[in-house]
Amino acid sequence: MAASWITPPTRTELIENLVSGVDRYNPSNVGILEDYLYHQIRSQEYDCLANLAILKLYQFNPDLYNPDVVINILIKALGASPLPDFNLCISLLDERPPNASLDEPDPLPVLLPVLHGLHHLLYRCRFPAFWRAYRSDQLESLRDNYTVECAGFEDSIREVVIRAVKSTFTRIGTDRLGLYLDLDSPEELKSYIDKLGWTLNSEGTVVNIPANLDNQIEAVVVQESIKLPQLTKVIAQAARS
Amino acid sequence: MSRPTLWSTADMDDDLADAVDAELSIYAQQGQNPAIYDQLGAQIEQLEPLLAIQQHMAALAAVPDVVKSVSGAEPFDELNSILPQFIVSFHQAILNRDLPSITMFYTTTFPKLTDRFYSRAEWPEPEIIAPLLSSNNATEDQVHIFLVLYRDLYYRHVYSRLQPNIDDRFHSYENSCELFNYLLNSPSSANDESDEPAPVDLVLPEQWLWDIIDEFIYQFQVFCSWRSKVKSKTDDELMMLADGTGVWSSYSVLNVLYSLIQKSKINEYIVALKEEQGKENPRPAEEVAQSISPYTALPLYRTLGYFSVLGLLRVHVLLGDFTLGLKVMDQVGEFLLGGSSFGAKTNKTSFTALPTLPATHISTHYYVGFCYMMLCRYPDAIRTFVTVLNFFQRMQRMRNYSGYERKDQYDQIAKTADRTLALYAMCHSLVLPGSPFTRLDDNITNSAKERYGDQMGRMSRGGSDALVAFEELFLYACPKFINANSPPYDDPEAIALLLNADPADAAEGSSPIPTDPTHRHLRLFLASAGAQSPLPTLRSFLHLYTSLTTEKLSSFLDLVKVNESDKEAVEDAEAEEEAIQEMMVLKQSSKSLSRIVPVQGKVDKGNDASSTGVRAQGSLLAGEMISTSDLNFVIDDNTIHIAESTVGRRYAGWFIKNTERSQRVLDEIRGSPLPRGKIGQKQHVPGAVTSGADAGAPAGSTDISGHKKPPTKTVAWGGAGTRATVDV
Repeated sequence: MAASWITPPTRTELIENLVSGVDRYNPSNVGILEDYLYHQIRSQEYDCLANLAILKLYQFNPDLYNPDVVINILIKALGASPLPDFNLCISLLDERPPNASLDEPDPLPVLLPVLHGLHHLLYRCRFPAFWRAYRSDQLESLRDNYTVECAGFEDSIREVVIRAVKSTFTRIGTDRLGLYLDLDSPEELKSYIDKLGWTLNSEGTVVNIPANLDNQIEAVVVQESIKLPQLTKVIAQAARS
Repeated sequence: MSRPTLWSTADMDDDLADAVDAELSIYAQQGQNPAIYDQLGAQIEQLEPLLAIQQHMAALAAVPDVVKSVSGAEPFDELNSILPQFIVSFHQAILNRDLPSITMFYTTTFPKLTDRFYSRAEWPEPEIIAPLLSSNNATEDQVHIFLVLYRDLYYRHVYSRLQPNIDDRFHSYENSCELFNYLLNSPSSANDESDEPAPVDLVLPEQWLWDIIDEFIYQFQVFCSWRSKVKSKTDDELMMLADGTGVWSSYSVLNVLYSLIQKSKINEYIVALKEEQGKENPRPAEEVAQSISPYTALPLYRTLGYFSVLGLLRVHVLLGDFTLGLKVMDQVGEFLLGGSSFGAKTNKTSFTALPTLPATHISTHYYVGFCYMMLCRYPDAIRTFVTVLNFFQRMQRMRNYSGYERKDQYDQIAKTADRTLALYAMCHSLVLPGSPFTRLDDNITNSAKERYGDQMGRMSRGGSDALVAFEELFLYACPKFINANSPPYDDPEAIALLLNADPADAAEGSSPIPTDPTHRHLRLFLASAGAQSPLPTLRSFLHLYTSLTTEKLSSFLDLVKVNESDKEAVEDAEAEEEAIQEMMVLKQSSKSLSRIVPVQGKVDKGNDASSTGVRAQGSLLAGEMISTSDLNFVIDDNTIHIAESTVGRRYAGWFIKNTERSQRVLDEIRGSPLPRGKIGQKQHVPGAVTSGADAGAPAGSTDISGHKKPPTKTVAWGGAGTRATVDV
């Protein structure tokens, strides 16, 4: 679980060296990492530690700061919910005085609270509210300028939904699931469910979710199990006398 | 900063001849200038160290209350003789590489002299003591490094007892750089032509090395928070800050730590040690070290390297990088958090090759645990805190812990432990009530309840009141976060903007004044903690049923809301939907990444599983998803099914405890002298079953045998054994 988060299989050796070595502090490497971020955006990959390395460079070298990159990193991190990736990214964003050297006004101060809000809705599993907010007019600029570029953004959010749903439900109404996934038409929903390998009941109103570790419950009585090595201390003590 | 000038002629000791006086004060004023030094005659050369000290003494006398509770001139006479002697012997000990003496001077004499003479004033400036050192036949280089080390003590004393001014802040930075530069880049030897750096032949106690690294980071942190307060700066300070942008920069601090790590090859060393552990005939640690590099071979560098890794963890946490903090611990962490705690022998070959100081142990666990908490990995955080809090409690029991007889050091450790306890209390609530992780160690939980009972009550009840409690504890227990960068002191316009900014704007968020980093992290933390705040209520309802409809659940929740009366009445369908979404939050909050995966759960790795579970190897970031709750549920369309795990009765702890008790009784019996047979004078052996005692014991008691109940006495090593059996 955590292994692919620490080192995603898609990470190249070059990036691995940057992320794990001292070279991560070298400002001249920021370009490589930024390119890698845009690669992630195009090809639906995700590498949190590499993106944190960019933010680290920005933290130490305020003149490298590129608001578009930061926003893209945060957008990518949204899809990792409920893991704390989004907050980890925010932790590295030191507050900065308004940067006069940028040609255009910095979009981050405006978008940061918006992204915060979206993250909060996702984290609290308020999926219908998330989609309402995301589709709202206020967020047009976020959609038009950023998420549209991020391949599979909406699907990455749907994956967050799926993770929550499949661990909580054994069966869920299609209406509810459609609302969570923001898939209004039955055809869209049907094809999405098929892709997951989930099945509909005969009336087509309820989705059956295959059993997995989290949605099977049983009342267990936890018994202690003591192995011999744990008792070596006691036995050794007794043997000595 | 009003400090008396040490050289004011008015305070000069009048015992001295006037002629010498005049010349010497010139020296004293420019003592650091070797040219003037040379001009002085040999006769004066003998006198002058003493004179400089006397001047210093006189200056001290001018400061009121410097020496409390000692009146008259006596203390100065005493100091007059002690101080030069102390400096010379201290220097000699370092020259002789005499570790026991150095340790004594460092851990005992220096603090004692500080308490007696310098509790409210600086130690003499290095320039004053410098001439004393010539008597030891030391080379220029040796004198130099002693002065650097002395200055390290000097500034540390200023930081801890007095108020450092901007000069102190800058100079302590320069001195640290000089020290590290000396250690890292000294040329191999005087007669070697190549400029290749070589290890320095210096021996220092581990405690001092830890203090060097610890203080370096502490001064960095203090400087950063001081630097970020733009408004309170004087013009001079503003000017110096504008010029000195490189001083205490994050890059330079990281550079020092990484250089020490790389020079000492500490990570390679630990990897090699681990490999040796697996072998049949492991080489001794010393041999392993020598095979790696000449630096690694020296304990000084190994220790510094190891402490630098721990220092790096701390710096990253201060800068808000919790993943990187854990990542730098990749090699070290497994050893540090290797289950059996400090002092205990791990496996067959213990890592005694690495230094273990109580201060190090406690501070590191505090930061590791904090990282886990910020990564929402509460089970790991709790485990980390429990390990170290147990260690601290044991340490408290051994009052005279060697090297920690000093109160201020002990207080420092106790403070960190108290903050760790506060973090533990928070995680205890965040992992949600009823989780097996809340029962990991009842002893620690009870201490936390004793200390933070009020906050723990509020946190576990949930709701908005819980957030206030979380905030209180977070602000008390969190590290002192810093901003990585300085305010733009080198940009006069930008700084003027900051200086003239109206604090009232700050509230609206439009002010250019950056908010302080602690509150940024607090906000983030409260956002995640806040998402969980409705869960305790939700859980308490689920607890009562094995199945119920979502409709019913939402009506219950509605009742709660009416009490709070801050929510508008929502439509039933909406409330139900809300409840279902909250259920998903509950589900996701009852799972967490964990380095140790329990075997009893459905995740079973088989083979090398101990009863405590499978421990993830390597990085501290590694781990698997586990369930952290004893209450499990699932939603079947509109019906919630609930199953609860219960813990079966535990026998092992009871048996171990009693085995140990019987053992102790048996030992006592064996250890007691045989009764002498003096009739009428029976020797009393507690709990012993000897023939003599037997006669006196009430006849007919069935349990006179090995099973006789021993006197109730808690055995120190009994407690540890019992805890080891708690499997989560």
